[in-house]
Amino acid sequence: MGNAMNTPLGYSPGEPLDVVDLEILADIARIQVALDPVPVGLVERSLFAITLAGLEAEVMELEYVRIPEMSVRGEAPPVEARTITFTSDSVTVMISLSPTEGGRVRIDGWAAPAAELLVSLHRPGGVSETRSDDDGRFVFDAVDPGPASFVVQPTGSSERAVSTPVIEL
Amino acid sequence: MTRITEDVPEVDEPEVSLGDRGAAALLDYRDGKPQALADFVKEATPLLWHTVRAQGVDREHADDVVQNTWMALVRNAHTIQEPHAILKWLLVTAKRGAWEAVRKHRDDNKRRTELPDDVLDGPAGALPSPDPTPENQVLVMERDRQLWRAVLRLPDRCQQLLRLISLADRPDYKYISSAIGMPVGSIGSNRGRCLAKLRDIIESEQGDRTWETP
Repeated sequence: MGNAMNTPLGYSPGEPLDVVDLEILADIARIQVALDPVPVGLVERSLFAITLAGLEAEVMELEYVRIPEMSVRGEAPPVEARTITFTSDSVTVMISLSPTEGGRVRIDGWAAPAAELLVSLHRPGGVSETRSDDDGRFVFDAVDPGPASFVVQPTGSSERAVSTPVIEL
Repeated sequence: MTRITEDVPEVDEPEVSLGDRGAAALLDYRDGKPQALADFVKEATPLLWHTVRAQGVDREHADDVVQNTWMALVRNAHTIQEPHAILKWLLVTAKRGAWEAVRKHRDDNKRRTELPDDVLDGPAGALPSPDPTPENQVLVMERDRQLWRAVLRLPDRCQQLLRLISLADRPDYKYISSAIGMPVGSIGSNRGRCLAKLRDIIESEQGDRTWETP
């Protein structure tokens, strides 16, 4: 290490960029993308997140993921339930995703502190809504795989809605 | 050290850069035309991804930081003063989000280690090395390995600069270097310090062989 750093510069920083420099940069781009690929679907999740930006809900933090397989983002389709926890200052939401017959996904959710909540499931195709029970539990029986964001709003309260980052169901 | 590639031609600047397309997309978006922004998201997401990952954020959280950066852009679409500095705005926002994620993650880990029962479950993902896949499995060409070894010998900031500008176009380099806090150098029109150093390293390791020789 360091040897080459101490040799006098053979190449001058002040020279114009040449085709070899550009080739080197193109190689660097290719290599880093191969070493650490952008996750499958991140562009789609970002595009979907943009459409949700107008909701002005506070975005929760992805806190804790328990995954049987490689990834919560669906880089490898999971065969067991995945559990994801989201937090904000006012509420914590845990969801468990399990595959159903026919390739759909069942969502079991819990919110704490326990309260009756309006839960909206935003998908690129539209929004479905449900209410939690008094214990903060809610269910979506069978939804299609793909990007999704949950928006949680306490009912009968002026508290601000919170939304989760876009995840892959 | 001798110069080997004396007669390599200079290159012209491309006319429209990633940053230019971003600026146009932002102005379109303000006018209620979102399509160009969608194209720009597609094109610039790799740049944001690698910016966030370079701060030591694991893949799951980096996914969120990139999404949040794009959400922040549209929430601020009407107040961003200089559309032409959009890349700088995005990179600075992504970096801040990344630092926040790293800081939170560190606090979470600290709390968890105080609770012995949680240790087995592990955190959402311990910070991985910046490169999750062993290089030797991915880089099958010796030439790539040589280049990557040379890159890894550069100071951290030079590594970051070259990795990021490699994902953009030459007129964007100045915005990227100022976004990552490098002194605004002349990279773009000129070779710049980091590329000059890299080529010195490559050459010192290759001896007499020129870069182009397979």
